[in-house]
Amino acid sequence: MRPAAATHPSNSSSHSQQEPRAANPLLLLPSSRAAKLSLGCPILDRLLSGGLPAASVTEIAGESASGKTQLCLQLALVAPLSPMSSSCLFLHSDLPFPLRRLRGLAPKSRPDLLDHVLVAAAHSTSDLLSLLSRAQHLLTHPNDSPRRLPIRLILLDSIASLFRADFDASPADLRRRSALFFRISAKLKELAHRHQCVVVVTNQVVDVVEGETGNTVEWSSGRRVSPALGLAWANCVNTRLFLTRDADGPNGCSRRRMKVAFAPHLPERACEFAIRRDGVFGVEPSER
Amino acid sequence: MEIADLPICTSHRAKLLAAGYSSLAALSAADPPRLALDLNIEIPEAEDILKIAVCANKFKGADGPSSVIKGAQNAWDMLSDEQSRKHINTGSGDLNNILGGGIHCKEVTEIGGVPGIGKTQLGIQLAINVQIPVECGGLGGKSVYIDTEGSFMVERVYQIAEGCISDILEYFPHYQNKAPSGQEKLKPESFLADIYYFRICSYTEQIAVINYLEKFLGEHKDVRIVIIDSVTFHFRQDFDDMALRTRVLSGLSLKLMKLAKTYNLAVVLLNQVTTKFTEGSFQLTLALGDSWSHSCTNRLILYWDGNLRYAYLDKSPSLPAVSAPYAVTGKGVRDAVSSNRKRARVM
Repeated sequence: MRPAAATHPSNSSSHSQQEPRAANPLLLLPSSRAAKLSLGCPILDRLLSGGLPAASVTEIAGESASGKTQLCLQLALVAPLSPMSSSCLFLHSDLPFPLRRLRGLAPKSRPDLLDHVLVAAAHSTSDLLSLLSRAQHLLTHPNDSPRRLPIRLILLDSIASLFRADFDASPADLRRRSALFFRISAKLKELAHRHQCVVVVTNQVVDVVEGETGNTVEWSSGRRVSPALGLAWANCVNTRLFLTRDADGPNGCSRRRMKVAFAPHLPERACEFAIRRDGVFGVEPSER
Repeated sequence: MEIADLPICTSHRAKLLAAGYSSLAALSAADPPRLALDLNIEIPEAEDILKIAVCANKFKGADGPSSVIKGAQNAWDMLSDEQSRKHINTGSGDLNNILGGGIHCKEVTEIGGVPGIGKTQLGIQLAINVQIPVECGGLGGKSVYIDTEGSFMVERVYQIAEGCISDILEYFPHYQNKAPSGQEKLKPESFLADIYYFRICSYTEQIAVINYLEKFLGEHKDVRIVIIDSVTFHFRQDFDDMALRTRVLSGLSLKLMKLAKTYNLAVVLLNQVTTKFTEGSFQLTLALGDSWSHSCTNRLILYWDGNLRYAYLDKSPSLPAVSAPYAVTGKGVRDAVSSNRKRARVM
């Protein structure tokens, strides 16, 4: 889009043809309460007061092997069975797609659940942007196949690996990089809003070297870590969930925690969870 | 208007001129006994002349040739206007104090801070608090909420409205009984219904909505606050030409300032934080650059100090730059608990 369009807002976007119309939040209330995607575990759902919100971008950050991908796979399998009954668009940048883990998670009795997981690989940021505009087309013109459920869940695993290679630490590259964050995020948020989708983006972590960066900082495996991509990306998500792990205890098993780092609708709070063969589940404090 | 044009009897007019009262200004400095003495008339007569002169003066002030620009106000009128003006409660007493009572109408206030500090919470709180009924010390107005980021969660707005209502009933326990309409009025649902919500997905839409606001506010005169959450988001992409971005943004801010003045409402702009490389170190600063920082009357920066949230009044035409702690609770933005304890100890 050329910035010159700014002076003619009325004919530059198909959505601003008519006068902007104010919505009444009261009318949005019932749908916003209903439109939560369950994580498939009542304890984790309670942490998120019902699940992941629709029309909003949720980030799941955590170090490697903290359960990010597992959680995404679980969401993909829960979505068709949930009240939202949606298929899911799984965009992955970490190759290869973890098909065996997905099959392992799917209940043996319901192999058809895999039909509702649409997978696409994004190798670069430009790849991702073109995938997203194709996704927009797919969402506005739903598939003819009647068996396919509408897509109301978009998973992106992970955003950080897209930016690992192509960018230097020079000021020009950093500026280009953050402009891209905002472009990708705006696209994701637009899809989320126009089609009432749940959007989940996973992110890696980096060690905290300097003192105050303004970004979320947590202890995980005995390291001080922050979600990758810095403060600019932190501005791009609505809700940030942080998966952390305590440093290994004497008995070898470490406690995992899911923490709400920030969310417009939730207080800062955390909950323990465990990764089992059949999925990710919350742990009541008393069950320890 | 001159003495010669005053609607008084000719003999008085002649006496005035003879006594040296050549202009209205000279007359306005006189008191009735003095005037009566000078003109050799009765005091009540002198009082009548002065009354007429005062009326003539007022009339002249309205659209006489002496007011250079139509609608110009003198500073005295502005001061009394300002003192009678109400402020929008932020929910936290400490925050109200550093802002001089709350968010000001007719002004543009920018609020910035890192993600998760509570910008959106404060925005939603203001959208609710502006609706506190006049009898309870509020403005009883409506709000416009322009959401560019999708962080406006209706279930949270509902919670904050409930918190606000429970506080009103705590401070005004008789409100519900006193006002017959109160029964139906103080419901979270009606608070929600009085927020006009716009969801924006690109900067062109943002510009379009702000242009449209002029018309919208003309039709909805009871709107007392416009909140943009955030003004920044769509302007941090797709702009290669930074000079153009600056021009577009300053155009927006001028428009918003004008709306604030014309419709007597508060404009609150939420802004993001970015890192800036200055003098060999990275520092946190509000986004959109230096020239943008001139486009707001007040600027409030929210930051963490340890585990406490603080607000710092970075820019204000009349108030000192100080900071105060606040908290975000289940009910919304409130005073930080520790500061309450401190105050209790002092008392």
